[in-house]
Amino acid sequence: MALFGTDFLKKLEYLSLVSRRVFRGSILAQRKTMQLGGGIEFADHREYSPGDDFRHLDWNVFARHDELLLKRFQEEEDLHVYILLDCSTSMNFGRPPKFDFARQVAAALAYIALADLDRVAVIGFAGDIVADFPLTRGKNRILSLLKFLEDLKPQGTVTDLSRVVKGFVHRTQRRGLALVVSDLYDPNGFNGGLDLLRHHRYEPHVIQIYDREEAEPKMKGDVELFDVETGTIQKVTVTERNLRQYRAIFEGFQESVKAYCQTYGLGCTRTSTEIPFDELILKMMRTAGALT
Amino acid sequence: MSLVHPVAMLWAALAIPIVIFYILKIRMRRVPVSTILFWRQIFEEKQPRSIWQKLRHLLSLLVQLAFLLLIVAALAEPIFKWEIREARRIVLIIDNSASMNATDVAPTRLEAAKKAALPLIEGLRFRDEIAVLSAGTQPQVRSGLTGHQSTLREAVTSINPTDGPTRIPEAVALARRLLADQPRKQVIIVSDGGFAEFDAIKAAPDVTIVPVGQKTGNVAITRFQVRRSLLDPIGYQILAEVRNASEQKVETRFELELEGNTIDVIPLDLAPGATWTQVFEKTSSDGGRLTAKIVRGDALAVDNTAVAILPKREVIPVTLVTEGNLFLEKVFEANPLVNLEVVKSLAKDAPLRNLTVWHRKVPNPLPPGNHFVIEPREASDLWTVGDVLQSPVVEKQDRTSPLMTHIRLDNVLMPEARQIKFSAKGQALATALGGDPLYYAIERPDGKGKVLVLTVDLEKGDLPLQTAFPILVANALGWFSGTRGELREALATGAVADIELPRGPGSNASALDLIAPDGKRKSLPVSNGKVTVGPLDECGVWTLDTPNKPEAKSKSDAKAAPVLEIACNLAAKTESDIRLSDALKVVESAKIGAGFGGWPLWFILALVAGILTVVEWFLYQRRWIS
Repeated sequence: MALFGTDFLKKLEYLSLVSRRVFRGSILAQRKTMQLGGGIEFADHREYSPGDDFRHLDWNVFARHDELLLKRFQEEEDLHVYILLDCSTSMNFGRPPKFDFARQVAAALAYIALADLDRVAVIGFAGDIVADFPLTRGKNRILSLLKFLEDLKPQGTVTDLSRVVKGFVHRTQRRGLALVVSDLYDPNGFNGGLDLLRHHRYEPHVIQIYDREEAEPKMKGDVELFDVETGTIQKVTVTERNLRQYRAIFEGFQESVKAYCQTYGLGCTRTSTEIPFDELILKMMRTAGALT
Repeated sequence: MSLVHPVAMLWAALAIPIVIFYILKIRMRRVPVSTILFWRQIFEEKQPRSIWQKLRHLLSLLVQLAFLLLIVAALAEPIFKWEIREARRIVLIIDNSASMNATDVAPTRLEAAKKAALPLIEGLRFRDEIAVLSAGTQPQVRSGLTGHQSTLREAVTSINPTDGPTRIPEAVALARRLLADQPRKQVIIVSDGGFAEFDAIKAAPDVTIVPVGQKTGNVAITRFQVRRSLLDPIGYQILAEVRNASEQKVETRFELELEGNTIDVIPLDLAPGATWTQVFEKTSSDGGRLTAKIVRGDALAVDNTAVAILPKREVIPVTLVTEGNLFLEKVFEANPLVNLEVVKSLAKDAPLRNLTVWHRKVPNPLPPGNHFVIEPREASDLWTVGDVLQSPVVEKQDRTSPLMTHIRLDNVLMPEARQIKFSAKGQALATALGGDPLYYAIERPDGKGKVLVLTVDLEKGDLPLQTAFPILVANALGWFSGTRGELREALATGAVADIELPRGPGSNASALDLIAPDGKRKSLPVSNGKVTVGPLDECGVWTLDTPNKPEAKSKSDAKAAPVLEIACNLAAKTESDIRLSDALKVVESAKIGAGFGGWPLWFILALVAGILTVVEWFLYQRRWIS
């Protein structure tokens, strides 16, 4: 297990501990769901109907306003975490490859979720769903999950997030947190897929990964640009001006991801492969803690 | 057309690797990218320019090949036959005589001449060659025939002004010798005229004159000489001449100074073209530097001043040993340069003064020193005394000797003289009819001094009453004291003179330094007490001195006094007449034309190659930096 060695597992354990001590209740397990039920946290009132449990009547409201209102509480349940991992060829780009980094991030998030008694599924995708690790629960399943992730290879055709999500949401399963770990280089745009997730009442969280070479390419002169995902070749002469234009376009793309997520209140993490995955997880947890 | 270095064409083979590299280059470097989406956004906008982008690679190849071919052609150095056939050889003569120092053309005529000469050099064609000569004081080759413009410019700008006369004819003769075997030759003179053979030179088909200057008037000291008076031992005569070489009447002052002290001032009122000449009689035993000035600011300053050296007359201690002869006593007493002591006899080992005059009594042998023996009646180691010569007639007189200057003895009545037979070798200055010497000079070897013998009985005859007698004594005093104190003629600039050095340390030296008025030193060899000086190219006082001599601490420091001073003046009417000749004005400025602007074909090829490098650099930058 080169990718998920001993050091990696130690880091996972550490992250799991940190997440319990510092961010308990703020991410993944012990999350409040959209379901109302028998929890302890007040959600809203509704009018009393015959047959309702008197224990849930709000007697204070009745004393003041002479109305019988029933208190409703949010039900707490274990969270279903779906990790949608981009396995397209474009993820194999970079040093280290973005795919390795993505798998480490996916593994870390899965480990934390499993440690907090949540259910985790991993869906590998490219042009379509290419691999699937079904919903699982319990920390003891982590090794199987890691084995699954390790065996994943960049593959498939051109990234098509809409198609992937379409296949994903039509499965009979509970709604939950949908972590999209990808570079989002979808020729048809990343919006369609994320829109579908939202519409089907999933909670998408985007983890966008890029390599430094993608953000700031260095090549100049007469070159053949070879798209590793599509196999397309384009002969161009790259000038300093072109590089400046490229950086602006790339930055614009990054900003569009951020703007989309802000617009719809989605979690968004953009990261370069240069930073260690554990730092990224801590940063994500801090951000989530600050938001809640 | 032929090639100077045809082997250089082999470098054209470099085109092969260039083409190979081009082919390799168009197989572009493949760069994998994770997505081409973003790049498309950039390059799809530029699609219309893709043809140009393709073409500019080919254009680069063509530029590189053209660059290579141009460089190879430049290395091979192509040469056209007409270049060799039409190559010209030109001699540029620049007049740097005294008149070229005139300031009527700012800053001077010489600078204007240099300025006029430079465009001629700039217009030089490739394979043309120019030699540069200067023609002041003496013709001088400043640069041999060359086409190297920097060398020629340096040669022209290095020409210094001189105070010497114009030597254009000599320079033209030298130029013609330089161009003797050249088919296309030309002599260009940049001058203000005022030289001999002007008409002949101007009319010569191979000569072009570029005039410099204007028709400017000038007043000049054209002669200034001084000489000792024949009558007064401390007197001297000055000859001065001033000429008004202008079209207007001029009022000025002529001032004479001796060692800075004004001794005479003469107002002058000179008509146009008039010449004023005057001889002044003055006296001075001290001597010094005599300066003449014209108080007038005109275009040429160098001829407004003239100098002459008046040597100091030194007093000669003389001992007269005689029983009594009034003529002898008086003739020496009358000379202000003589410190006379009269004695009846002299002890055998008594110290001798500079000159001892023996009248009748003579010691035997004569001790070392200078002796003037008159009517000896006793023999000595140098002669024996014979019978009395009755009424000797002077048959022969040495007119070349300085002892006999201005003396004629043939009309002097001499009733009696002594017949003397000289055992020592000497020079008979005057000889009687029978061959007996009457006046005899002996220069004893090994520095024992000079001996002069006059055999005539002064008490009989009229020699003491003749004017020849004091002159004879004065000449004798001069001869005994050497040449020190003689007047030395002021030299004209450009003159060469053999100068006899006065007795002293300088005459024994193997070489002396000739020090110019501006302080420049030049070593001159001394041969037999003489030194050849000149041609002098600067007005003022030139000095001959021993090399490495310490500077004088004071004027009275005799040891630090120079060996000799020589006055040098312009003293040339033609140089002082700086009015530009009317004949010169019609001469148009010479133009020697231009070919490739003086650039060889290989240089132009290399230049074009350089431009192509810029083009390729532009294309490269367009590809890489946009």
